[in-house]
Amino acid sequence: MNFWFSVFRQTGRNLRQTWTTQFMTCLTVSLSVLIFSFFYLIYLNMLNAGDKVSDDLRLVVYLEEEPGPEMQEQLRNKITQFDQVQEIKFISKAEAYSRFAEELGDNRDVLTDMPTDFLPASIEVTPLKNLRSLNQIKLFSEYLATLPGSQKVQYGQKWVERFYYFTQLLSIVVLLSGFLLILTATFMVASTIRLTIFGRQEELELLKLVGATNNYIRTPFLLEGVLLGFMGSLLGLASLYTLFQWTLRHFSGAGFLDLFTFTFFPPEIICTIVILSIILCTAGSYASMQKFLRI
Amino acid sequence: MTETTASSRTAMIEVIKVSKSYPPNVTALSDISVSIASGEIFFLIGRSGAGKTTLLKLLCNMERPSNGLIEVAGMNIHQVTGNKLAKLRQKVGVAYQDFRLLTDRTVAENIAISMEVSYKKPQIIRSRVRSLLAQLQLEDKHDILTGDLSRGEQQRVALARAVANSPTLILVDEPTGNLDATSTAQVMELLVRCSKSGATIVIATHDETLYRHSTHRVMKLHNGTIASLTSGNDQGAGATGGGGDEI
Ligand SMILES: Nc1ncnc2c1ncn2[C@@H]1O[C@H](COP(=O)(O)OP(=O)(O)OP(=O)(O)O)[C@@H](O)[C@H]1O
Ligand SMILES: [Mg+2]
Repeated sequence: MNFWFSVFRQTGRNLRQTWTTQFMTCLTVSLSVLIFSFFYLIYLNMLNAGDKVSDDLRLVVYLEEEPGPEMQEQLRNKITQFDQVQEIKFISKAEAYSRFAEELGDNRDVLTDMPTDFLPASIEVTPLKNLRSLNQIKLFSEYLATLPGSQKVQYGQKWVERFYYFTQLLSIVVLLSGFLLILTATFMVASTIRLTIFGRQEELELLKLVGATNNYIRTPFLLEGVLLGFMGSLLGLASLYTLFQWTLRHFSGAGFLDLFTFTFFPPEIICTIVILSIILCTAGSYASMQKFLRI
Repeated sequence: MTETTASSRTAMIEVIKVSKSYPPNVTALSDISVSIASGEIFFLIGRSGAGKTTLLKLLCNMERPSNGLIEVAGMNIHQVTGNKLAKLRQKVGVAYQDFRLLTDRTVAENIAISMEVSYKKPQIIRSRVRSLLAQLQLEDKHDILTGDLSRGEQQRVALARAVANSPTLILVDEPTGNLDATSTAQVMELLVRCSKSGATIVIATHDETLYRHSTHRVMKLHNGTIASLTSGNDQGAGATGGGGDEI
């Protein structure tokens, strides 16, 4: 009990003595949390959007001949060899004809002179609704083209490719900003704590001499790291949330945002970001403290 | 009765053939051996530069001996590390020659430090600080920054911090250098009170009045060696020997 009393008082002293540096560090941490979570939020929403869009995403493999039941089974096996898929549907020539006729509606009489098997049979492959299969769609289509009897593979190529590159790029940006977050959180905090230690070297030396344990000396500084991580990440996330709300208010109804429903982080991810930044900041503080205690 | 004899026989400090040299070639202490009993008041005298402070620094593990062995309370203090060392240091109060006060803290905060590290209750710390300040007639300085105090006042605050946590060993370096006769008497009174409650006390001093009429042992250092060691009984001989060395 008394231990924590001393620790809190000591932390208070630290903060009072070097509050400007602490404040700047807190801002830096929150800025890097903001940058990281900004890109991460966009990335997550892209994944969501990808889910939605892939509802309409189907690969259609046109076949030279209508496969018999045995052949269908073989094709099915070959397709699932490449990847798990959500659905494989065989469309016979007759089915294709009646579907087409239905689509024509009132104009179906143009078909009267046509044989009912003039449309090719096909396989409709619906990939799983996740980003991995979306990213692989090009490869998948190339694979499908090599199936025996396949004539042509169709899908929303351009769109999917762009989406694919964009999410790839975004994931790299997320990684980079995450890396930035790690660097700033640990190194900035480490150097701030080192500054604080430097400013109080005399006192810390004395504490050692009068028999303070390492924990007694260290804990206030670790607590400072925890505080910096907590405040920094909270501030960063709060500003992101404000930005998010602002964007929603100003761009909703403008059209393109309606395509996706933008959502903020779920609570689990918020907690994870906060905890992660606390851990990083505390690690930075710990590293500085170890250096001092070893001297 | 038996208890007293037992405690006076057990050694609080054992110094065995200790030498200390500083780079490049300053020999501060050479081949010092002495044993100080638990509960004893022990004086350490000698001219400036004789090695008094060096010996005290070795005793509180601020410096390591170049040679030899030092045991405090039966432990080789230079092999103790970590929390054990911290525990040991909590039981050793040191009043440094250069005070080592935190000049941007108040008198009360400075004295409290040695008790805070061993997690004494705040009420206990507060009353102990007040009683020590009263004994040293510094009551009115309770909330003054130690940086604003006179040398003599700082010296007494340093002493108060050393004895505050009721350590079993008290090392005092030049406790009365800046003090008048009355304050000196108060300081000695305080130290004697600590001794009566069982503490072993080592005092390094130039002030002859502190030990002249006492029956305590006095060790005189000269250029890092023991010039004389008087026992409580042959007090006069030691004083004469000391006079001879100084010429
Ligand atoms: N850190 C050091 N580096 C080099 N030499 C040192 C160091 N500390 C002490 N000395 C030398 O060791 C010798 C003993 O010094 P010490 O401080 O023990 O003397 P002292 O007896 O306490 O003197 P005073 O009465 O002036 O306090 C001196 O010659 C001093 O110059
Ligand atoms: Mg000295």
